[in-house]
Amino acid sequence: MEAFLCTDDLCRQFGGVTATDCVCIDIEESGLRSIIGPNGAGKTTFINIITGRIPASSGKVFFQGSDITNKPTHELVRMGICRTFQITSIFQNLTVFENVRIARQAHKGGSLKIFSTKRSLKNVSVDTWDILERLGLQDQAHQEAKNLAYGDQRVLEVAIAMAGSPQILFLDEPTAGMSPGETNHISRLIRGLAEEISIVLVEHDMDLVMSISDRITVLHYGSIIAEGLPEEIKTHQMVREAYLGKDA
Amino acid sequence: MMSDITSIPGDRPSAAPIKIFGFAAIFLALAILPFVWDNRFYISLITQIMIYGLLAMSLDVLLGYTGLLSFMHNAYLGIGAYMVGLFLIHVSPTSLWLACLVGVIFTGAVALPVGWVQVRTGGLAFALLTLAFGMMFHTIVWKWYSVTGGDDGLMGVPSPDIQLFRWTVGNTGDPTHIYLLTLVVVAICFVLTRRIIRSPFGAVLEAIRENEERAAFVGINVRRYKLYGWMLACILAGIAGALFILYKGYIGPTTMSAFAGAGVLMMVLLGGMGSLWGPLIGAGIFIYIQDYITTMTEHWEIYLGLVVILLVLFMPTGFVGMGSYLKRMRRN
Repeated sequence: MEAFLCTDDLCRQFGGVTATDCVCIDIEESGLRSIIGPNGAGKTTFINIITGRIPASSGKVFFQGSDITNKPTHELVRMGICRTFQITSIFQNLTVFENVRIARQAHKGGSLKIFSTKRSLKNVSVDTWDILERLGLQDQAHQEAKNLAYGDQRVLEVAIAMAGSPQILFLDEPTAGMSPGETNHISRLIRGLAEEISIVLVEHDMDLVMSISDRITVLHYGSIIAEGLPEEIKTHQMVREAYLGKDA
Repeated sequence: MMSDITSIPGDRPSAAPIKIFGFAAIFLALAILPFVWDNRFYISLITQIMIYGLLAMSLDVLLGYTGLLSFMHNAYLGIGAYMVGLFLIHVSPTSLWLACLVGVIFTGAVALPVGWVQVRTGGLAFALLTLAFGMMFHTIVWKWYSVTGGDDGLMGVPSPDIQLFRWTVGNTGDPTHIYLLTLVVVAICFVLTRRIIRSPFGAVLEAIRENEERAAFVGINVRRYKLYGWMLACILAGIAGALFILYKGYIGPTTMSAFAGAGVLMMVLLGGMGSLWGPLIGAGIFIYIQDYITTMTEHWEIYLGLVVILLVLFMPTGFVGMGSYLKRMRRN
């Protein structure tokens, strides 16, 4: 059977440092895959390569059977590969509504209608409201994104990514800097999404990872050292060593 | 939830009646001005303001909406102006519209490969490339004596009649006629550009201005849309160039210098970028101050520089931002 998304000996060097070292991964069509590892393990670099933010040094990425290695970002997004960023990346001076609306428009088309009004793209506006409601952002729709509370900005980032109707969504530390209440809100959201699409989560919060992941992949010095169900990873000897040192 | 699809909130309604009324009032006032105020000097000055206003507005499309800085947008006014002038001199001295069409298309044809190179970069690199290309164009028109007249400029450009369908409605050599032609063309360009900026296409440009990487990660082909924005700005500049040569009957290489380019940038900043009408006001302030100071001293650049420094320090959002600035002052 053909894999949904997989990498084949994917490598990336920065100068002499190998940040991603011959990684082969298979990701399922739905469900929640977490990628964990100590600081500097190469988690973000790995998803940066897949999502087209930085080119691979060698190796391949396949999505639904076709080679997508080093394709331009916007083409990957059109294929349904979306992501969020570790450092919040939103359209600061646009309203929350406009943030999601432009992402939806980019997905649905109509960007070349130079003499039409924005509201003439009715489907885009309707979809945008659906997404805002689903994520609980509808009350802030008309605020400028920069005026949102930090936690809400993180949620907005997910909303923008969802507007691309992703088939696979990469979330880079979505809960970083969030309060427990906000973390709870977003983790329920992520879990819900994972029933429909494939989610790849890079996360430091171990409690969160262990409670919501279907499968976990552990990276250490750019290579996969373990992969399995949460219970398997919890007791995995090499994982414990990677996190706590050899004597643990 | 959304039972009434026709009233989806979140989009600004298209132009409010008061704005349309305001625009129409200003247009009409300017249209009757030359008939009630017989001061040829000021009519001519306002013509110049409108032409540079159009150029500054076109730069605002780049700077205020796409987030790209062009140091020498005047180069594209110059290219349009030279081409229209050359066409009138060498091909047909009476074909006004054809000359303008050729000039604007030629401007676009030059801007396309330049833009293709420039959009591969962003930020400071983009700005430096505009300077590099602009200086090349400046040097070409300055040194290519046999075609452009070198530093003497392009002289003896004929003044064609303004023909609408079969009727001759005026002559571009008449200050009042060229004033009215400029007013109509600038007004049309303003309305069309405003419409474009508020379209789904304009929303893409704004997204690129706000966050280029994010724009790419929602599926926007950033380079392509930057190029579209660039072409729109350059074609508007080319239209301004066509008006310029018809108005002056002459163009010299200094119009395309980096110094003049900085002036256009100042117009945008003085007026306030990201509003389209701000740069039109900015052009008015700039050219009026320049003209006023010139009557007292020939070193007008020094005093204009001081005025600009003060305005940038104390009115960083330009004329457009003055409303909210005054409100804040009153509250304190």
